[in-house]
Amino acid sequence: MNIHLRLNLRAILGRAYPRVIGSLREPSWIFFEILLPVLAIAAYVFIYQALEAPPEFVGFVILGGAMTAFWLNVLWSMAAQLYWEKEIGNLQLYMMAPMSRMSLLGGMAVGGIFGSSIHASATVLIGVLLFKGPALVFPLMLIPIFLVTLIALYGMGMMFASLYLMWGREAWHMASLMEEPIYFVSGFYFPVKALGFWVALSASVIPITLGLDSMRQLLFPSVAAWGLFPVEIELGILVVLAIIFPIMARIALARMENLARRRGGLTLRWQ
Amino acid sequence: MNYAVETKNLCRVFKRKRSRKERKQEPTKENQKEVVALDDVNIQVKEGELFGLLGPNGAGKTTLIKILSTLLLPTKGEAWVAGHNVAEDTFNIRMKINSVSGGESSGYGLLTARENVWMFSQFYDVPSKVAKQRADDLFKTFGLYEKRNQKMRTLSTGERQKMGMVRGFITDPDIIFLDEPTLGLDVNASRVIRRFVADWVREHEKKTVLLTTHYMMEAEELCDRVAIIDKGKVLVCDTPENLKKTVRRSSTLRLEIDPLKDYSKFRDIPGIRNFSKKVNPETNRSELVFVIDDEAAVSDILSVVTGEGKRIHELRKTEPTLEDVFVSLVGRALE
Amino acid sequence: MAMIKRHWKTLKTAAWLGWQMESNWTQPFLFAVYSILKPIAATMILVLMYWVVINPGYGGQAENAIMFSFLYVGNAFYIFVGQMLFGIFRVIQGDREWYQTIRNVYIAPISYYVYVVARALTQLVIASIAVVITLLFGVFVLGVQISLAVTDIPLFLTILVIGLVGVSAMGVILGGISFLTAKHMHGMNESVAGIFYLFCGVLFPISMFPVWGQFISRAIPLTYWFEALRRVLAPETLQIPTSLTQIDTGLLMLILLSSTIVLVLVSYFVFKGADYLARRKGVIDMITSY
Repeated sequence: MNIHLRLNLRAILGRAYPRVIGSLREPSWIFFEILLPVLAIAAYVFIYQALEAPPEFVGFVILGGAMTAFWLNVLWSMAAQLYWEKEIGNLQLYMMAPMSRMSLLGGMAVGGIFGSSIHASATVLIGVLLFKGPALVFPLMLIPIFLVTLIALYGMGMMFASLYLMWGREAWHMASLMEEPIYFVSGFYFPVKALGFWVALSASVIPITLGLDSMRQLLFPSVAAWGLFPVEIELGILVVLAIIFPIMARIALARMENLARRRGGLTLRWQ
Repeated sequence: MNYAVETKNLCRVFKRKRSRKERKQEPTKENQKEVVALDDVNIQVKEGELFGLLGPNGAGKTTLIKILSTLLLPTKGEAWVAGHNVAEDTFNIRMKINSVSGGESSGYGLLTARENVWMFSQFYDVPSKVAKQRADDLFKTFGLYEKRNQKMRTLSTGERQKMGMVRGFITDPDIIFLDEPTLGLDVNASRVIRRFVADWVREHEKKTVLLTTHYMMEAEELCDRVAIIDKGKVLVCDTPENLKKTVRRSSTLRLEIDPLKDYSKFRDIPGIRNFSKKVNPETNRSELVFVIDDEAAVSDILSVVTGEGKRIHELRKTEPTLEDVFVSLVGRALE
Repeated sequence: MAMIKRHWKTLKTAAWLGWQMESNWTQPFLFAVYSILKPIAATMILVLMYWVVINPGYGGQAENAIMFSFLYVGNAFYIFVGQMLFGIFRVIQGDREWYQTIRNVYIAPISYYVYVVARALTQLVIASIAVVITLLFGVFVLGVQISLAVTDIPLFLTILVIGLVGVSAMGVILGGISFLTAKHMHGMNESVAGIFYLFCGVLFPISMFPVWGQFISRAIPLTYWFEALRRVLAPETLQIPTSLTQIDTGLLMLILLSSTIVLVLVSYFVFKGADYLARRKGVIDMITSY
């Protein structure tokens, strides 16, 4: 096998390992990351029920709640991660190693997707059992939509990882700022089209917006008309995002590393 | 000749932001915009050599290591590691090097020590099975085998530092940079590390170590050659033996006295090549080291002390050490 | 007296530090935008949810202005809960995992309890601004029915203060527990805040819960806080049966006050207990990143 390919595959697995093991090893994780977020989405379900909304809306909330797991993971454990690695002193060891920096981020993404998938599945399962939404259908199209959404989403996280590092101390605040405002503009709990076409279209630059919209259309065909675009077009846009974000991530990483080597300090602790 | 490390006129300047107050002031050494960390450094480290960089804190040792380990670009000049240019051919350098810093405690708290070093080995294309075997062997060497399956967060500072050594050597690098590897460790742990490093170079013909330290004893004990570095400049570079020879014709006088009001008088005494002083906070006594070329200077030195009516608590004439070389060059003690 | 003086000094220094930590990372304007954008966005989610349900193109349900006021007022004051819980929790986790200064502060001869609460005072200031803006936005832009009679202002302020003391105590309990847990930056605080969001009648009447759910709701002092706030600010929401409606306001206040006192005591002991356990387990300054 080509040495670069082998090295980078090993690096991906190596970096994914602490994510997978770390998240399984700390037992308190199960309590906080799975059980309690279900309570949070329950609040939204009850609002819809209090307003006597049709049953599909309950489904929207469960779906949005599940996808929250991936969004939070991308924000806190991808975008802010390089900054965090720098603070604990790991980043300079990574920067000195021969593997591609993309495989480092790739490893984080693989590990993060693993943990978040458990979180999301549990949210869906408990949500469906507790709050009977409408009858569900599972068209095959759901699989490519979900996968492409994740690739685009984690690609965006990878891009932010380098940008956050360059922005320095603002990493924490940036991640925090992208919680509620993104839940809102990306339509985590309601059809995004309700924000108006242009707002929804602008929000589509965040992959989760169209990912959610497509999944809503596929899972609840009775309200498919509330979708922003037909699913095929949304898949097309998502594919484009899934290509663009990793490329931009690569450019941002190279730029960040170059800046770090020229200026000194960027990858070093407490600088 | 194959050099493991070679630098030519290597310079590194750091820009620093000046405060508003500083910008208004006349430029001085302290408030200048640029800090010169390395100034025209030329060194050649041979393959299979254990090369030491000896200098006080802030001398530029770590900056040099950062440039050689591809973390930092030079501002001017060039450097090659394993024959590859540090500015251009990073991949080939990275495949052959590793680096360990003394103060380091990198890794993930929730992983065990063994898992942490295994993870880092995967970034160097070490087959998993080989990595685990090497990790176990190295943990045994460093006396950490029993604790290898403990989570890193439960290890003591010294144990984490030893884990850092395991991490550095698990990739079996051709060249390893050890930046103050025994910093803050107890005597026994330091001895284990020093012995391991010495054996590693001796047993592997082509392996090279570049060690930075401010412990002269460590440099003297381990290094084939030593470069003394201060304020970004390499002052001398030779074997410890040859360096000591430069001050052998001189002698070293160590004096422990009550603090004087004025030390500048020593500068006027002919026959003193250089001297350093430091105050021992425990005894509140001045410890003076004189490198003297002319024995006649001794009586002048003693007259200065007694002239101020101060007591001499101890007076010794000793064999020259690397520290004396440093004192004779820069007029300061190392630590 | 000397002790009070020392606590006061701790309070001042920690509050100053909290402000520096929160505000020092950017220009004041960006900081202000950041501080209010988050809660406003959270409010807008609810506004859109309501709008989608009543819009003929989507849910097509009848308008329910009283219900909208109910959830809007609840949500506005919930900003205090979210922000304060997050703030206090983050002091401990951030000092421990991020800045790694916890051991230095911990061994200083001050009350760590006072230090933690004071550090979060900045969050109180930020939250207050966000609450005011949210309420003004609701009244003037969305037409939310909020009215506060001049005669009710003392009552309103009393309710507000009691509630904020209670919220701080909750934060301290959470902070105490976080001594013992791994890094759950966005897990623990948001999850606990989620419990309050769900069970305290913030957005919908607790009468929608089954009996066991209502039992949980009634056990949390904040439930009475939201009920009391709504009675003063949006009296027409009393038309919505919450299962607390039959309790008269005087009794409601008494329950709120006494349960808050109990909560403060509990928070003190939980914090002390967690502190003791963390020291025994040696995890005061652990770093658990992965």
